[in-house]
Amino acid sequence: MSGSAMLVTLLDRAGAGDTAAFKNLYDATSAKLFGVILRILNERGEAEDVLQEVYTTVWRKAAEFDAARASPITWMATIARNRAIDRLRARGSRPTTALDAAADVPDTSLPADQLIDASDDARRLHAALDTLDARHAAAIRSTYFEGLTYEALAVREGVPVGTLKSWVRRGLLRMQGAMA
Amino acid sequence: MSAGSDLDGDDGLAIDTALGALSRDALRAAEARMASDPVFRASVEEWQRLLAPLDEATAPVSPSPEVWSRIMSVIEPAPRVAAKPSIWSSLNLWRGLAGASTAVAAVTAILLIARPDTPAAPQLLVANLASEGGVSLITATYDASREAIILTPAGKTDDAGRTPELWVIEGDNPPRSLGTIDLASPESHAIPAERLKGLKPGSTLAISLEPKGGSKTGAPTGPVVATGKLTGI
Repeated sequence: MSGSAMLVTLLDRAGAGDTAAFKNLYDATSAKLFGVILRILNERGEAEDVLQEVYTTVWRKAAEFDAARASPITWMATIARNRAIDRLRARGSRPTTALDAAADVPDTSLPADQLIDASDDARRLHAALDTLDARHAAAIRSTYFEGLTYEALAVREGVPVGTLKSWVRRGLLRMQGAMA
Repeated sequence: MSAGSDLDGDDGLAIDTALGALSRDALRAAEARMASDPVFRASVEEWQRLLAPLDEATAPVSPSPEVWSRIMSVIEPAPRVAAKPSIWSSLNLWRGLAGASTAVAAVTAILLIARPDTPAAPQLLVANLASEGGVSLITATYDASREAIILTPAGKTDDAGRTPELWVIEGDNPPRSLGTIDLASPESHAIPAERLKGLKPGSTLAISLEPKGGSKTGAPTGPVVATGKLTGI
């Protein structure tokens, strides 16, 4: 049974109320999802709160999962990203972690060239990113990995928000074309 | 979506939504749109699929073990007690010995044949409620299996003729009243089980001093004399 097929089975059983299958699903996926959440929130306690919300959502919605529309891990990681971003937005005007303080949180990124076990999809995606203008690729990475809004990233990059939006959208469209 | 994409319209919005690069309100609006517009939803999901392999560049990080017990306390708030040992508990033990996550696949394969009995351990949560200065006032023990909270006095406070009221603060929500208590003989006050349902590790308990009979507003109005965080034991 492939990893993905195993997760489909576990989700299916969790959807039927099987907590043991759900525990297996958690054990197999929580470190990945926690990495995704922590990278956006940079704060362990808050990230664990979000992780808890994510898995209670997965438990509730497991029966709605449709393997024809998404792989299980993409479905779950999307819930995780959305929840983490929602929590990040809810911080609102609360001061976000200053760059100095952020040094306490280990950088959980891996350089693309060290993706030894990367899937073919990931290799092609990184290759397509590398064909873009470096600033455009960096803008796509920042919105995705850090959960930044266009507005916040435009301020950081010192460009008008319309320019930044265009970099990201056109960049992604080009990547999609290159990967087709 | 290829040549001729309308980046200023829905195609652009689908990208923004998949990335999550919008404000909170705009993202919620987009999610609502996804629920009612299958074409838009399919477009967002297409971008999510395209972007998802980026997650492989994010190193996995193990959450603390407490997270799982918190999840269990939410999804299974009233666990069965005194469950008999089952095939599942021996599998659990075996998996614990095996340790590695590679064991998951093997366990799963067995589980597909032997549908397990799945008891959850009764959960006890404890909070030591102390003043700002660190002086303990009361210990609260929540027994999830009995849906009861036991309050044990640890010190004295001058309640100045007012009524102490117990609150729980869950996440970003406003304090929720668990009812008034008597600090001198806390066991004399039973808190209704439905108010205790879903108490989780990480939530904060607090005691405020309220007018006779408790807060009339539904929120704490008097001074907070002690707080403490619930932790699993």
